[in-house]
Amino acid sequence: MTLKFAAALALSLATIAFQAQADVVKVGVIAPMSGSFALTGQTWEGAIKAYQKLHGTTAGGHTIEVIYRDLPEINPAQARALAQELVIKEGVQYLAGLYFTPDALAVAAVAQEAKVPVVIFNASTSSILDKSEYLLRTSYTLPQMNVPVAKYALEKNVKSVVTMVSDFGPGLDAEKAFTTAFVNGGGKVLEAIRAPLKTTDFGPLMQRVKSLKPDALYVFAPGGPLTYALIKAYNEAGLKTAGVRFLGTAETDEDQLQAIGPDVLGFETGMFYSASHNSALNHAVIKTLHEVAPKAVPTVQLVNAFDGLHVIYHMVEATNGKRDGAKAIASAKGFSWESPRGPLKIDPNSRELLQNVYMRVVEKEPSGRYVNREFRTFEMQPDYGRTPNVSK
Amino acid sequence: MSAVMKPMAHVAPSQSRQWMSCHGEFMLLVVGLAAFMLFPQDLGLLTNMAAMSIFALSVNLVLGQAGIASMGQAALYGSGAYVAGWTALYLSTDPILGLMLGGLGGGVVALLSGAVMLRSTKLTLVMLTIAAAQLLLELANWASGITGGDDGLSGFSIGPLFGVWEFNFIGSTGYFYALGVLVLVYFLLRNLVDSPFGLTAKAIRQDPGRVEALGGRVYPHLLAVYTVGGLLAGFGGALTAQTSKVANLSMLDFQTSAGVVVIIVLGGRRRLSGAVLGTVAFMTIQHIASTLNPQHWLFVIGLMLIFVLIVLPEGLIGIVDQLVLLARRIGRKGSAP
Amino acid sequence: MSLTLLSSILVDGVAYAMILFMITVGLSMTMGLMRVVNLAHGAFAMMGGFLAAKIPVALGVPIWVGFVLAIGLVALIALPIERLLIRRFYQRDELDQMLVTIGLMFVATAGANVLFGSSLTSVPLPEAFHGTVDLGFRSIPRHRLIVVATGLVVVIVLWLTVDRSSFGIRVRAAVDNAPIARAVGINTKLIYAATFALGAALAALGGIAGAELLPMEPSYASRYLVTFLAVVAVGGHGNLFGSFFAALLLGIVETSMKYMVPQLASAAFFLTMFVVLLLRPRGLFGRHV
Repeated sequence: MTLKFAAALALSLATIAFQAQADVVKVGVIAPMSGSFALTGQTWEGAIKAYQKLHGTTAGGHTIEVIYRDLPEINPAQARALAQELVIKEGVQYLAGLYFTPDALAVAAVAQEAKVPVVIFNASTSSILDKSEYLLRTSYTLPQMNVPVAKYALEKNVKSVVTMVSDFGPGLDAEKAFTTAFVNGGGKVLEAIRAPLKTTDFGPLMQRVKSLKPDALYVFAPGGPLTYALIKAYNEAGLKTAGVRFLGTAETDEDQLQAIGPDVLGFETGMFYSASHNSALNHAVIKTLHEVAPKAVPTVQLVNAFDGLHVIYHMVEATNGKRDGAKAIASAKGFSWESPRGPLKIDPNSRELLQNVYMRVVEKEPSGRYVNREFRTFEMQPDYGRTPNVSK
Repeated sequence: MSAVMKPMAHVAPSQSRQWMSCHGEFMLLVVGLAAFMLFPQDLGLLTNMAAMSIFALSVNLVLGQAGIASMGQAALYGSGAYVAGWTALYLSTDPILGLMLGGLGGGVVALLSGAVMLRSTKLTLVMLTIAAAQLLLELANWASGITGGDDGLSGFSIGPLFGVWEFNFIGSTGYFYALGVLVLVYFLLRNLVDSPFGLTAKAIRQDPGRVEALGGRVYPHLLAVYTVGGLLAGFGGALTAQTSKVANLSMLDFQTSAGVVVIIVLGGRRRLSGAVLGTVAFMTIQHIASTLNPQHWLFVIGLMLIFVLIVLPEGLIGIVDQLVLLARRIGRKGSAP
Repeated sequence: MSLTLLSSILVDGVAYAMILFMITVGLSMTMGLMRVVNLAHGAFAMMGGFLAAKIPVALGVPIWVGFVLAIGLVALIALPIERLLIRRFYQRDELDQMLVTIGLMFVATAGANVLFGSSLTSVPLPEAFHGTVDLGFRSIPRHRLIVVATGLVVVIVLWLTVDRSSFGIRVRAAVDNAPIARAVGINTKLIYAATFALGAALAALGGIAGAELLPMEPSYASRYLVTFLAVVAVGGHGNLFGSFFAALLLGIVETSMKYMVPQLASAAFFLTMFVVLLLRPRGLFGRHV
């Protein structure tokens, strides 16, 4: 720490020192509040409001104030500027949010330099947490989800698979994670198809799958039009009737489930949370969400933010509201609690979340709503991207 | 003096710039320092503004001065960013070296692509630049081993500036670095634009046929301008990568190209100062709108763009010009006997 | 290359191409006839899709009727846009036209976000469109065949009305030399408005027809902008058959790559565009510049 840096930091902190007198701990959330992913930002905001309604706005006697900054798209330069602004100008003790990986990487640099803990609500590339010891994550990673899906496939006697992923970072991660686990378990990958991101016409690709005659098709596509088109193409090519099982992860996320409709009935996916998860806590949280944010849709983003704020509250209590990044992170390591998604624990070594992964199938409720119904649980899965594959 | 003072663009350069003369860079410096004093906690945003201004200046040169219709400048900006990132990762963390190499990267890509594309004009050229930028983006995505693909290049550190001033998260070193480069680039560019080289470029924009008839060679000249533009865009990209410590595919995509064109039109595309003004205005409004009501940011910028194009074809700098004229006229009246 | 693969490529490529054609033919016409570059054209397709999704439910009419109403409504919306905004830019630089229509596109995107929410909206299909048709070597969704048929109908109708009729002659006169056309009694203003509205209506049709492949969401206009522009640029603006063949070329190239080397499909699309424009700057059949 150079003298100049220390002086500058001291000056900044001094100017906000008297705010600390009021014993307010600020949390800065960088979220997509506008643009294509605005729904996520709204859900995070709703989740935070719901949490504060259920648990109060204080932690250990300190008032928690949440501030939002809009980051609608991938823009690492802006992500860094927003993080700097939140830390320096607003004096936040904790940063949270972050939907996209490149943005999270830019903020990681700030976290490391400023020693500010960051709780990531979404960005799911495994290696992000390696970039700074002040990073935590309450969402998931792709390997974490895909290894159980591969195991499930093997359990169901699926011998051959065609993988079809969108040709970008997360897609390739998913392909690698699934393939490694599947092949290790004795399965065979007939072909690895990589669909360009710009493609919305999956018809030809599905024809190719059909001609290969696998037992199952494993897919990964980002949410939105691509997933929609992919699912439609799968049905139109008659793959379901041909007996090619569909395997995926986030494709049946609640925010598009209703829009896709009957095409997706019977699809099996593996994920860490479904809105229909049958626990009293989950029902209570969803009920509260509807009270404080009627437009928010309960998706995985709900629990991402809900649990994220819970971790922050824990850290505030552990540091007694004082600014101490190292102590906060230390208190988070090994922290375990019951979440609306199930039991959770933060791995003391990797700082990654250990959580249940559920296999669920899409069903239609009597009310006409489509839901993901959980039918198989893989317990306390680690992030296989950073932890060796320990079979369970 | 005639009460009819035509828009600046039609008057010979030396006369029109009298109120700015060589004070343009000086003013930039003063404003930059003032910004540092007034907004010490917003240095992240200010640094981004400075880097984006450099990019905007390069597009102003290519599009505004020389009339090369390009909607693919992000290719050059992004190239600069990646080259700077690779330099920091594999060669040396010295920022100046990264900056220079980044500029070189942008310049080389511009030279190669421009050589092929600049034989075409107008709409065909626009489409070619879009296609070329898109192809570069696809290439960068495919070569994810060296570009980091979707996640981008990250985790590189930048060494102290001149070996003395470290880059920290407060951002003061980063800001002065960016500001310094901006002032230097502005100085160089202004001299370039006022030189015979620049005048020829402007003449080509206005009437290429006339230039050919007078013995000038249009294609090599445009290629030279395009390459210089690529160099500057590369500087802008390198600066962004170095100050945010991430280089990402989004810096190569169409949104970025379209965004910077919107900025220079907003600011005023015939004047270099318009590029800086446009950047500052755009990013300030975005910052404010996004804190107040992010949902409607796109509305605001869309309406602003339409408004500027219909009502203020000179861009925002036109308003500044009119104000200065007004001030001078009042000043003159005040001092008249 | 096996016959099955070849025929698959043709079938899927042509279907994709028809959708591209229907959406972009309006843009090509506006660019060729009125020399206006309208980057917000995708927004008309988007409006058509969104309205088609909402009207049948909102008004309780059969889906068919909803589609027709949606198309008509988009044409009506296009009229004031042409009158109040686009008309000011006929004399202006192409770049200015592009920029003002980018502004329009932003406004349309923001509007769609507010009115229809930021996630996907699906366009319900009439019962007749559901199901698949078995062609022997593979089955194809009935809906795609209908799209191909619609595209062909559109091309034929446009050819008859625009290229060969007196309306078409008047339009070309108005474009080639507006003052003289006016002197001869041709109402140029009316023609501009009608052409623009027709272009928008065709885009809406394309948007609705293509909603399965290009699903409706607020960023539709910007997401597919470059694709649409590519088709128009390659075809040569103002040329009906140019548009048709450009859509076929680009559609089939991209589709064949998807079958053979999917990773390069997108790159192949843009490479084709790049090469065609270099060799034939005015597009495949372009005559105007």
